Order: sequence, then C-alpha cells, then structure tokens
Amino acid sequence: MVNIATLVKLSLNLNLLKIESDGRVNTADTQLAISEYDKNAIEEAIRIKEKHGGKIVCVSALTWGPVNKKISDAERILREVLALGVDEAHFIIDDVLDNCTPLETSLALASLIRKLGNFDLFIAGESSMDISNSQIPARIASILDIPFVTYVRKVEISENNLILQREMPNGIETVEVPMPAVISVTGEINQPRLPTLRQILQSKNKPLMKYTLKDLGINLNAKLMKQRIEIRPVVRKNIIYEGGNLEEIAQKLVDNLIQEGVIKA
Amino acid sequence: MKRNILVFSEDPRVINEAVYIANILKGNEGKIFGVSKLTEDNDVLSNFDEIHFAKENLIPEQWAKFLIKFYKENEIQYLVSPHTVNNNDIIAYVSAKYNLPMISNATSIKDNDATLIFSRQVLGGRGISYIEVEKSLKLSVTVPIKVYPRIKLDKQSLIKEITEIEKTKITSKGFEEIKKSGFNIENADVVVGIGRGFKSKEDIKLAQDLAEVLNGVIGCSRPIAADYGWLPNDLWIGISSKIIRPKLYIAVGISGAPQHVSGIMDSKIIVAINKDKNATIFKYADYGVVADLYQFLPIFTRKIKENLKK
Repeated sequence: MVNIATLVKLSLNLNLLKIESDGRVNTADTQLAISEYDKNAIEEAIRIKEKHGGKIVCVSALTWGPVNKKISDAERILREVLALGVDEAHFIIDDVLDNCTPLETSLALASLIRKLGNFDLFIAGESSMDISNSQIPARIASILDIPFVTYVRKVEISENNLILQREMPNGIETVEVPMPAVISVTGEINQPRLPTLRQILQSKNKPLMKYTLKDLGINLNAKLMKQRIEIRPVVRKNIIYEGGNLEEIAQKLVDNLIQEGVIKA
Repeated sequence: MKRNILVFSEDPRVINEAVYIANILKGNEGKIFGVSKLTEDNDVLSNFDEIHFAKENLIPEQWAKFLIKFYKENEIQYLVSPHTVNNNDIIAYVSAKYNLPMISNATSIKDNDATLIFSRQVLGGRGISYIEVEKSLKLSVTVPIKVYPRIKLDKQSLIKEITEIEKTKITSKGFEEIKKSGFNIENADVVVGIGRGFKSKEDIKLAQDLAEVLNGVIGCSRPIAADYGWLPNDLWIGISSKIIRPKLYIAVGISGAPQHVSGIMDSKIIVAINKDKNATIFKYADYGVVADLYQFLPIFTRKIKENLKK
C-alpha cells in the first residue's frame, strides 16, 4: 500500500490568455487549466496504485484569484482530476493567495497536507506551465523535512524504497530513497490516459473539499512580492510563402536571408 | 548598508555566472561568500571574499543542509545561484527553511532606489513577469547561464574545505552519461531545429545537410531528444533545456509548442518550414514556408549552395 498525494497546479490556460491593450495579462479574467506535467504526476500515481494499492489524494491551492471568479473553474478541473482515478481532491481557496509566490503556496499546501494525515509519496510535475519556478517540490520537502528527488523519468518501488531514474541535462542518474519522499516527474515518464465515461460519472460522488487559510489555522502575508505579467511583444515579419513553385520559393527565401545579413552570398 | 551575499553552485564551472548579480546586490560593504565543489580555476578562486569547497560529490539535500547552517552563521541577505536543475532545487529547499521568497531564473535586475525590479520569462516564454521587492527584504534568486557578464573581482579569497557533511537518506546508484553531440548550440550563429515533422531518425540527414551549407549546427524540440532519443539532450532547445540566441534559426517540422518557442525567442531571424499552415511556429517566424519538408529541404539546401558559389 502506498498512500500518495499529488500536487496539482491550477494554471493559467495558456491558450485563453486575456490580454489588455497595454500588454498586461489580465489574470483575473483568464481561465484555468491543469498544468501540463501535473497530468503525468497523476498518471504515475494511478500506475503505482494499480500495482501496489493505496489511496491517491490531490492537493492544490487556487493561486489565481479572485476566488469568486475562479472557483467554478477550479472545481471543474479538480472533478476532471477525480475522473482520472484520484480518490479525493482537497484545495485551498483564499484571496490572500491571489498571485502569490511559491513561498506562500508551499506553506499553505504543507498545512493542508499535515491536516490530511500521513502520505508515503508526494508527486508533482517538473514545473508549472504558467510560471515555471520549479520550487514547490523542494520547498514541500524542506517544510516536511523529508527527502526530495526531481525530474524523475522512471519510478520503481521495492518494499519501502523508491528506485528512481532522474533525467539530468548530461545523463541519467539512478537514486534510491526510502519513503516518505517528494518527487517531481518529467513529461516523458508516461502517457497520461483519458477518463472513461464511467469514471467521469463516478467523479461526481468523490470528495472535493475546500479550505480557507483560516480553516488551516495559518496566517500568510502574501504582499512581500507581487508580480505583473506582460505579454512579450513578438515583432516578427511573418512573411509566409504558401503554394506555388518550391524552386522559386526557395530562391526568394535565400534572397531574404542574404538581405537580412544572416547568410553570406 | 551591509548586505552579505551567498553565491552557491553545485558545479564550479558555472558559479561565476552569478557573481555579476551578487556584486550588484551586495551594496557598499557586503561580503560575497562562495560555496561549490572543489576547483582549481583561479577565476573562481579570486571572485569571493570566502570560498567553501566540498571535495566529494554531494546529494542536493546535503548541499542544502550545509547552506542552511552557513546562511545563519554568516548573516546572509541574498542567496544567489546560477540556474540549473539542482541549484534551483537546493536554493528552494534552503529558502523554505527561512521563509524566503525566491525568484527563479531572473533574466534582468533593475536598481530602483528603494526597490529592486527583477524580470523573468513566464507563460512558456510568451510573457515577462516583473517582480518588485523592497531592498530590505531577504530573498533568493537564481540567474540563467550566459545572460549576465562574467566579471573578475580579483579578491584574495579565504579558501576553506567543507568537512562536516550531513547525512542523507538518498543514495546514488549510478550515473549513465548520455552521449553528447559535441556541438555547442548556444554559441552557434545558425541553428537548424528538428521537430516531429521528421518521420525517422535517418531523415535528420536532410537537416544536417542544410546546417552544413550554412556552417551551422542542428538542434531539436523536446520529443526528438526526450521521447524518441534520436538526438542527444544537449541539442534539445526549449525552456527546460537550451535557450539559444543565434543569428538565424530555421525550425523544420516543428509545431511551436511553448516549451520550444521559449528557447528560441531571442533569435535574430526565425524561419519556419512546416506543412501545416496553422502551425503556431509561423506566428513566431520572420519567414515561413508552408511545404512538406521532405520536398522543400533538398531544394532549399541546393539553392543556398548555388548562391554561395556565385
């Protein structure tokens, strides 16, 4: 039996960004989506459960507010997570967390984790797709005082030990660590499955619990550091050749590149 | 004001990437401490007031626990580190112990009198986040490699060896080095990027031929390296691998996922070749060709050869 907590980020939906005329990203009006690699984290948790048994809980925090605008979106995503095979979802909603940093998110998540009881394994994605700080796994491990291993591309469990392959820039490192531990997984570790219709129906009866910071008994000051997000202006020429003779297009392109000074004639 | 800085890097070869920022942050009187693995590089040894070395390889958790002690003993204001997978983890672990906010991969820093403004890439490279903090705030920051100048401070470093190493429950079971391409795509003037439009490993030759006539090198998107293993990881271009800034980037059969696009945004000229006219990559391209790469690449390569001969 392996009891697993998956850490899921309710990310900004990168395909539906609301952008103001001055280039600022309007996070309050942008829809949410599950962060890409967190799908791999959930899939890996399901595979471990299928092999070793246990329970999978999803923990999350709504870090894009305001809560009243985002709550139904967040619930929809977490229902989808439940449909994938997660047994329970627990998430923190509090306007204090709107646009907060990983410092506050990890403190809030750690409080929720402690409230929920004991887990053998914590699984996160390698980074969030919107902000990509990749701090949460190490921060959670630090707060809970347990080991962490990031960028895992293969998990094996032998009794109480995890044997993990890490994807490093220059190679593959194999490490062994006893549970409990925190790991983050890469996008290549598995191919996330889609829920069946039956699972979608079942997800409606699974527990989906909400907590405020007060419910967790913590007080956070999330005003230390606020970020303003702007879209990077893309100034590209966008000259597109389509249809016609490829010989002619190739010659035009070569001429363009010579003119730009990036290839020498 | 006295602001002590702790610069950490597991790999000493990149520690100087963070010294420029450390020197800005330290103010008038602060000391710059360095922590890394043993090196004989004089450019490293002369950049710190004090430098502490470990002789053996440490697990990230062991580095973090050393830094936690060091931080407290030396009244550190800012923790600075070159952004690598392990460094970012280690600094996050230490930051959590002291409730420090942390800015990962800060691509710029601006001194704004009472505050500092950091910026970093977000939204898969499409956005920039600006973060303004009071100078009095203690915080951590990791900085990308090859963005800030490498400086020499010519200090007389006090050199110490780290002798007390914490225990860890993690044991290393081996390291299998991935074969390397031997090419340095970060320094190349011309890069030809290979994506999922290529149907087999052998077809990469088409891109290699093109790169060759342009005196360039090939690179690839994430699936080509990480999923298919057709090319080594050091040719993988994208936010979780190499960020490139060539004069000319030619994306062939690449759809333009945020993961990849964020690694090419600073290229001077971007050319995209893709048979799908709706591919996202065209939005980021100066010049685009909607065509089958198998038909177009050989013609394009030949045309370049012909024009170079003239």
